[in-house]
Amino acid sequence: MNNKSKDLIKLSVPNKPEYVGVIRLTVTGIANRMGFDIEKMEDIKVAISEACTNAITHGICQEENNFSIEFLSDEEKLVISVSDNGKGCLSQNIKPPVLEDPREGGLGVFIIRSLMDEVEILSNNGKGTIIKMTKYVGDDI
Amino acid sequence: MSLMINKNYDEVSKTWKIQLDGEVDIYTAGKLKETFIKMLEEKKESIKIDAGKLEYIDSTGLGVLIGVLKKLKEENKNIIFLNIKPNIKKLLNITGLDKIFIIEG
Repeated sequence: MNNKSKDLIKLSVPNKPEYVGVIRLTVTGIANRMGFDIEKMEDIKVAISEACTNAITHGICQEENNFSIEFLSDEEKLVISVSDNGKGCLSQNIKPPVLEDPREGGLGVFIIRSLMDEVEILSNNGKGTIIKMTKYVGDDI
Repeated sequence: MSLMINKNYDEVSKTWKIQLDGEVDIYTAGKLKETFIKMLEEKKESIKIDAGKLEYIDSTGLGVLIGVLKKLKEENKNIIFLNIKPNIKKLLNITGLDKIFIIEG
């Protein structure tokens, strides 16, 4: 394999909770092959689960629909994009958790931002949300 | 991968003991929530969670735990974690939830 090239893997996943575990196994395989250490693999697993959970919860809730995931890897990083086709959300409305009044929801994006090196949330009203997150194989840049 | 839940009530210490084995995510969080609701209906006492075999939990699972803790706090009761794995400890740290749950061992 040419190390300089970028590899792209595309998945289309049913909007069903039972597939989030399958995605965790898939991303563990991809990250392991790229040489991530165990701690970073755990971070990626949690982050992608949160993104999938968001897609399933806030995307179009029809089970016959799918959402999509792209894994773009090169020798130094893994870029994961999770796209749903829901209503979109206002990413600037997401606040860090308040301990005095912990809420039962809204932790997902906060967790993704904490665990990944770069996170972009692209939300187009009516066209769904894309969560794009990057993890570097080596030390954080 | 699924979630197995084992619970029993300890009359002596007046606490619930619950063992979680597997993964808590959007697929299994509902089952966990139902279990907790039944437990609290029966007895509203502190819950000790043995997390030695809990491999994974995400925000949906943490959300369930926060909801249960809120109900327990009305009676000054707590959620206590035992044998927690490093990956889950990290998640509790970054969310600040390590300050509202009691973490032992």
